[in-house]
Amino acid sequence: MPRLLFIAVLCVPLPSAHGQEPNEATERAIKSAVTSVAPMVVRIETAGGRGVAGDAGVRRGSGPTTGLVVSPDGYVVTSSFNFADNPSDIFVTVPGRPRLVAKRVASDTARMLTLLKVEASGLTVPAAVPKAEIKVGQWAAALGRTLDPDTARPPSVSVGIVGALGRVWGRAVQTDAKVSPVNYGGPLVAVDGRVFGVLVPLSPDATGDTAGVEWYDSGIGFAVPLEDVFAALPRLKTGKDLHPGRLGFAPEKPDAEYNVPVTVGTVAPDGPLAKAGAKTGDVLTAIDGHPVAHLSQLHHLLGPRYEGDTVSVTVRRDGKEQTFDKLTLAGDSPAARPRFLGVLPLRDDPEPGVQVRAVVPDSPAAKAGVKAGDRILLIGPATTTPDAPKAKAGPPLTRDRLAAIIARVPAGQSVRLTVKRKDGGKTESMTVALADPPEKPIADAPLPSSRKGAKPPAAPAEKKPKPETGLLRRTNPTLGREYWVYVPDNYDPKVSQGLLVWLHPAGRGGRDANDVVKAWKEYCAERHLILAGPVSKSPEGWLASEAEEALTDIRRLADEYQIDPRRVVAHGLGTGGPMAYYLGFAARDFVRGVAVGGAPLTTQPRDPDLTRPLAFFLAAGKKDPRLANIEEGKRKLAEKGFPVFYREMPAAGPSELDAATVEALKVWLDTLDAI
Amino acid sequence: MLFATAGPAVASDPFTPVAEQVAPKLVKLFGAGGFRGVVSYGVGVTVSPDGHVLTAASLMLDTSDLVAHLWDGRRMKAVVVAAEPLLDVALLKIVVPGKPAGEPTGLNLPHFDLAEAAKRPPASPGDWVLGFGNMFEIAMRDEPVTVQRGVIAAVTKLTGRRGVFDFPYTGEAYLIDAITNNPGAAGGALTDLKGNLLGLIGRELKNTLSETWVNYAIPVNATVTVTEGGKPVTVSVPKFVEAAVAGKYKPVRKEATATAGGGYHGIVFVPNVLARTPPFVEDLRPNSPAAKAGLRADDLISFVDGEPVPSVSAFQALIRRATPGQTLRLEVRRGGGLHTVELTLAEPPKAKK
Repeated sequence: MPRLLFIAVLCVPLPSAHGQEPNEATERAIKSAVTSVAPMVVRIETAGGRGVAGDAGVRRGSGPTTGLVVSPDGYVVTSSFNFADNPSDIFVTVPGRPRLVAKRVASDTARMLTLLKVEASGLTVPAAVPKAEIKVGQWAAALGRTLDPDTARPPSVSVGIVGALGRVWGRAVQTDAKVSPVNYGGPLVAVDGRVFGVLVPLSPDATGDTAGVEWYDSGIGFAVPLEDVFAALPRLKTGKDLHPGRLGFAPEKPDAEYNVPVTVGTVAPDGPLAKAGAKTGDVLTAIDGHPVAHLSQLHHLLGPRYEGDTVSVTVRRDGKEQTFDKLTLAGDSPAARPRFLGVLPLRDDPEPGVQVRAVVPDSPAAKAGVKAGDRILLIGPATTTPDAPKAKAGPPLTRDRLAAIIARVPAGQSVRLTVKRKDGGKTESMTVALADPPEKPIADAPLPSSRKGAKPPAAPAEKKPKPETGLLRRTNPTLGREYWVYVPDNYDPKVSQGLLVWLHPAGRGGRDANDVVKAWKEYCAERHLILAGPVSKSPEGWLASEAEEALTDIRRLADEYQIDPRRVVAHGLGTGGPMAYYLGFAARDFVRGVAVGGAPLTTQPRDPDLTRPLAFFLAAGKKDPRLANIEEGKRKLAEKGFPVFYREMPAAGPSELDAATVEALKVWLDTLDAI
Repeated sequence: MLFATAGPAVASDPFTPVAEQVAPKLVKLFGAGGFRGVVSYGVGVTVSPDGHVLTAASLMLDTSDLVAHLWDGRRMKAVVVAAEPLLDVALLKIVVPGKPAGEPTGLNLPHFDLAEAAKRPPASPGDWVLGFGNMFEIAMRDEPVTVQRGVIAAVTKLTGRRGVFDFPYTGEAYLIDAITNNPGAAGGALTDLKGNLLGLIGRELKNTLSETWVNYAIPVNATVTVTEGGKPVTVSVPKFVEAAVAGKYKPVRKEATATAGGGYHGIVFVPNVLARTPPFVEDLRPNSPAAKAGLRADDLISFVDGEPVPSVSAFQALIRRATPGQTLRLEVRRGGGLHTVELTLAEPPKAKK
């Protein structure tokens, strides 16, 4: 039968008018489209930059990349992917011309594009396929200039179709052509030789220079429509970075994207919504007249907008709709900062309320007269009138609930606490004006930290009768990944444990376990801390792409041991540092603290998320050649509104902590759940 | 009526007849390995009716118990006739019980005419191709190999930059936009839409610059020139197959290239304190080749012979591979521009005592 079919095929007259088989015609048409765009596809090489001072760290894709000419006088647009390290030297080769020095003009942080300029004229500019003409199913060829150093030869080609429109919150066209570092920055070309868009790694749920790279060659690739690139070009040419436009609020339920109306949780101070007079509890119902039923619709409507664009926002309050017209969207302005009360809560406390383990000196709590041993029973909004109703009793107050409420109180607002005094004392109410988290760490954290003999509130019913303790070397049976865990011998499942995830420096994976355990052993027993050491795949250091896999087993420790979710810290020194930063931002649901010594921040920090707090402990040796870079990272984090504690060590080298810093780190670890 | 509607539909699906024509020319191979990181299975293309099979020169072949499954389900033993690491290929022969080596096997297998295939013009970027392999050991015995569709992404060398690829083959390769190079695909066939053999699918290979996997095939006419006994020797896939089938192939002994020993340039760099200190020129020895070439203090050497030079160490490594008398094309960053300088290395000056 198969043979018969074969013969049948040969006998059937070919249907094409030119006697050409239709696939062959398509193949030729695509090749000719590629040829016509090829002269506008440039090769980009970079050197130097932030990575120069660092060593391995989190290795990122480097090497050549691709760009597309967007104006005859030498403007070239490319993906921001290769500019994450802020290279000092950029070289562009336009086909048929000698290599030129290029300057970075500006970046579009919403679409992850970077605009470059070379001294050239008379360049050919591609024609854009208008967005209205882009249809799912159209042939699409992804072109790159990285595989072949010779720009006189054809660019690399991957052929697919347009797979979807309006992806990544309305910013990108999707294609099944293979998109990867091979062609990031290159064009996605239509069969007629016009250009759909510029290829970029993008991710709907992550931001950052390299977000979306994990999808390379997966059949899910993205291109920013060239029409949008041309529209943004005049603004980019002025040299000012373009940022995503924001309304300046955090929804009450940031993870419920598709099923609940968008209720305003916290309003960023000075943000567009705050200025318009929107309040916590308002429900967003429309943007520019387009209805918004849930969060994803809001993302789709705001996704294509930049800082400085204007929108009208309709909200519902107390059953009445009102529209704020001409709100100017904000850019990367500080999000709402976490608020701080100034108490260290006692952990593993089953009774309702939060027992105060210690009060931070000079904190709002201290000023209001809260004392160690007091029990906070209720929290409610402070009111100016003395006869206002008392704070309403919700579900019993716990440490985590108190922390969530305090963190999200709008700046400038006070809260009213109902506190039962120590040792059967009377119950009192007090108004507390909250403050920013302190810049200095708390000097000491007294013991005990947990309610003695109490049953942990969230203890799973079934626990292993006797969890393993000591230094445990393990291998993941499916992934084959090695890791180690240290559980103090006095481990008690009734006491929640902190978790310190040690990101080893390059080349030390697994081998430094004994040293790390030796340094931390005593502290682990006294302060209830478990250590975990994932191991990088390559001796050359950590790869951003292995973050999730490396964390797989570490996350599972929470099923086996009583881990306090508020005290999970990623810790790295030297070449382990960049991975600690990376995990802090990438594993937002898991990591609550990042402790780094001797490593600069190499990614753009994301916004703080009040529901998933993240604090930083940074240290740098005064003699570290990267000192200036580390300080720059610290500044960026602080500007974003993250609690950052920074120490300069007078005598320490690049990848070690001095004794005083180690002590400070230990206290910081034990006070991460301060409220 | 039935034919009228079925006809054009079949004609626009040209992959079916090609797949049916190509698949019997592949054999599934099972050999050594199976432990971590080494795949114990692969595939090969039949290149003679007598049972000669061309495949990738992988560790999998390192066994006396190599087994080939033919398309029709026959399970045969195979032996390695010859291998050429420079081309990353090996030639196998299927063994028929009772037939001593050297005698015709009488197999009369469907096969590719490699000499013919090598004469065809090479494929170019954008050409539609099909890849045939046994990725992830999905097929055994008479189960068909996997067919994938894609285009030639590029035709280029994989060794554009040293250290980017850990790979012995230095000639031009076909890069493919389909994910062909999976475990078990090495030695598979890359064909055009007429079923002509274009190349041999390679192994799993990672680009260490971008940390991404690369899909490539070694062209049927792959050619590499190396030095043997002081003379250039050219090896090619068709010549290799021809000689190996005749039982006359002698692998080339490539000479170590570490004999170059470098040359004198006379550039004084800024102190090399960091792992990646950029190659900034601090000073030039008077009358040195660099001074004569017109290099200046504060120049930043950015490219040598078109290849990026990110650090002082990279520049020095490059010089160690060069010889006195050799001319290097330097592109240096000077102010806002890029200047090209021809630097002819000299014999190192005699040390003054």
